[in-house]
Amino acid sequence: MNAITATGLTKRYGAKAAVADATFTIEQGEIVGFLGPNGAGKTTTLRMLAGLVRPTEGSCTVLGQPVPGATLREVGTMIEEPSFYPYMTGRSNLRHAALLHGDVPPSRVDEVLEFVSLQDAADKKVRAYSQGMRQRLALARALLWRPKVMLLDEPTNGLDPTGIAEVRESLRSVASEGVTVLVSSHILAEIEKLVDRILAIDAGRIVFDGPLRELVERMGAPTVTYTVTARDQAGLLAALAELGYTPAPRNQDGADVTVPADEADLLIERLTSKGVRVTSATLRGEDLEGAYLRLIDPHRRPS
Amino acid sequence: MSAILATVRAETFKLLRKRRIYVLAFLYWVLLPAVALLVGRLLYTNLREFEREGLPVADLLQSLFSAHGLATVALTGPAYMSPTAYIVGVVLLAALFIGEERGQNMWKTVLVIQPYRPAVMTGKLVVTMGALLALMLGAFLSAIVFGTIGTSFLPTDLSGDWLGLLGLYLWQWAHLLAAVLLAFLLVFLVRSAVLGIVMVLLLPGLIEGLYTVLNTLFNLQPLTRFNAIFQALRLQRLWEAAPRYFFTTNLYAPGRAPARDIASDMLQSSVQPQDLGPLQSLLGTTITLGHAAAVMAGYALVFGVLLYWLFGRRDVD
Repeated sequence: MNAITATGLTKRYGAKAAVADATFTIEQGEIVGFLGPNGAGKTTTLRMLAGLVRPTEGSCTVLGQPVPGATLREVGTMIEEPSFYPYMTGRSNLRHAALLHGDVPPSRVDEVLEFVSLQDAADKKVRAYSQGMRQRLALARALLWRPKVMLLDEPTNGLDPTGIAEVRESLRSVASEGVTVLVSSHILAEIEKLVDRILAIDAGRIVFDGPLRELVERMGAPTVTYTVTARDQAGLLAALAELGYTPAPRNQDGADVTVPADEADLLIERLTSKGVRVTSATLRGEDLEGAYLRLIDPHRRPS
Repeated sequence: MSAILATVRAETFKLLRKRRIYVLAFLYWVLLPAVALLVGRLLYTNLREFEREGLPVADLLQSLFSAHGLATVALTGPAYMSPTAYIVGVVLLAALFIGEERGQNMWKTVLVIQPYRPAVMTGKLVVTMGALLALMLGAFLSAIVFGTIGTSFLPTDLSGDWLGLLGLYLWQWAHLLAAVLLAFLLVFLVRSAVLGIVMVLLLPGLIEGLYTVLNTLFNLQPLTRFNAIFQALRLQRLWEAAPRYFFTTNLYAPGRAPARDIASDMLQSSVQPQDLGPLQSLLGTTITLGHAAAVMAGYALVFGVLLYWLFGRRDVD
């Protein structure tokens, strides 16, 4: 069953279309990354899916029911900056949300607080929370009623690397229970680690919808970069130069070298044949960021 | 659980965590009757000697500082403040339930958790009206307590038309629905709690003040272009009747109703409305409670329709 469908979803503000004719479907249980530069229409699309903004044209459904509608009660959202009542504690904010929802047992508040590791700060006023704590509290609130769909807009904003990893693991754990997640982020490395499928939007239009691998392959660069280390750095650099590459020394024992993609498989073999004792070789393959940047700007040269 | 009930529970939870409701309750339930009792005691001390000269001091004290008197003052006093304590309470609650959702950027959360917008608005209205009822009935009960205490040092007793007074409390409370709807509408419409509050406080008075200015212009002698057109259109009678439909005049009609009786006691006679002269309009005696209720129902209907229509359609940004 489709968890989310958008059909010709369009939102115009005056003459300007914030989102134009967006059509896509997301299956139940999928984790989909929603990419796009600032102002591309990500948040407006998420707001339309959450029933907060009425589409000018087109329609969307969540769990098979039209939006807005009662089915939104099975959706957990984090849209833009997390917001709370600052004079209430974290626990009280969650209790308020639970009461407003109406179908959340009181014990669930403690469960989600523990899930996002906020149980020790639960009785502090939210105004005293750091940005990272607010992000985690917002995630806890989005999970309160065990949603079947989650719409997350930049959920790792303001988090330190540990916090980002925690949120990533939390989302993985949630998704493993069959929850559909549509997550937007500017931190492409994070999206890359989390999602299987990418929806990319630019200037209000969906410009890519498919598996992450397909985006990387389709927009892939003609070269790849290896980081190679060897016992003898000078010998390594000389051998690479002999093979016709332009290596850049790295630390005391290695080098970065960019090779044509079709020669990548042969690099280690060639170095070994020249007597270099390679101790490690890491393929810094084409990443999502490179592919994404080329997607929204086809003329961009590989870095 | 129904969406309205869920909203009522959540908003009550929020209200009880807001300091302003306790401040309002303290002012209304404790400070007002305590100060009134103190004034009563001072009057009793200072006016006692005039009793021999025929001043009905005991009647005056019974009217204002007995349990029934204090309950009357708690109903009538707030209606004569400027701005009235009723409208202050209403705008503070509107700021909490509508303005704060905007100010704290909470609509995007609230309306996903509970997407049935009419139910959310109804829940908020129920809690606001519930809070106002609690404040008013609390004042009624505290007046009984303070009035009973007052009998120990004032020549007062617990007599009075309690049922009639309680009816006026409930009548006044019902009238506040129109004010709440107006406050919700304006605070939601202008997307700013502060600006909304200012508008709620000033707008009705501004419109009514404008009427006074225009009235002066229309009645200028010799005949002016304004009143010539006016009279030609045969709108004079309608124009003169307009104050009977003013928002504030009708809003506070139940609260101001006991003022005539108190004025009669103070003037030592049974005064008819027409005999009150300039005091007549001030004391709110020119309109009946039935008329006021009908006018306020009309206002409530208009404000309510606009509020629900706007709230249901507006995008949350």
